[in-house]
Amino acid sequence: MLDFGDDIPQLRQTLSSEQIAEYVKSANQVAPRFLSDEGGRKDGLPGQIAPGNMSLALFARLLEGAAANVEVRRISATFRSFVRPRVALVASGVVTDVEERDDGCLLECDLMLETESGERLVTGTGTVFVAQG
Amino acid sequence: MADPLPEIDRDLIGREFDRTVSKPVSAERMIRYARACGETNPRYLEDGPNLVATPTFPITVRRERFVPEGIPMEVMYRGMDAGKDVEIGVVVRPGDVLTGVGSLHDIYDKTGRSGKLRFVVLRMVVTNQRDEMVAVIDQRMMFR
Repeated sequence: MLDFGDDIPQLRQTLSSEQIAEYVKSANQVAPRFLSDEGGRKDGLPGQIAPGNMSLALFARLLEGAAANVEVRRISATFRSFVRPRVALVASGVVTDVEERDDGCLLECDLMLETESGERLVTGTGTVFVAQG
Repeated sequence: MADPLPEIDRDLIGREFDRTVSKPVSAERMIRYARACGETNPRYLEDGPNLVATPTFPITVRRERFVPEGIPMEVMYRGMDAGKDVEIGVVVRPGDVLTGVGSLHDIYDKTGRSGKLRFVVLRMVVTNQRDEMVAVIDQRMMFR
């Protein structure tokens, strides 16, 4: 069982341009900046970017990997920089509070999405319920 | 000279400005979204009685109106998506009909290194056909 101060197992992923495009199509969030570098540049961006919602989805996967029987109750994210395709990403988290319940426990976690070189892209927090057994 | 911070009528806070009812959610759409998220958990990927949507699926619900009447869209286009807070309720299953109710939740200012910042929080409460809470989604738009 995870305890206060424990790290959540990291999630490492490099998003492809095609993955981001497929995400926005599946999420009803189609906009040129999410589809191609050309579309991003037309919006004054360095190129294609991933939507903030995709970072939330990565945080959800990170939290669900924290333990067996995890139920994600809350995710909060602050977008600090652009998440871009073809950049190696590391999502990580640490348990900051544990509340024991009769049927399990609630964990509060600090979350971070950064590049492999350490640039912070998204910070956040999450709450999960971990059922007993 | 930079545009001034948008002046938004605080009387709009808390008022519903949109209510959008989705078509029944299909298993195909849930699985497609889960795959696009990179999920590997069979409960999100295998059609059948145990299929549920991923926790972030409710953020795919779209409003018909993005902002309340009285706030011009060109004002909102000046804003940056600063973050999102999602409270997750009951799971979504195939056939669920999701209703998203939009409201202006909050307006507040902060002072950063680059000067005064204004945050506008748009809330969407998503419920299912049993009126159970599926998600409460707060989107923070930042203006400088």
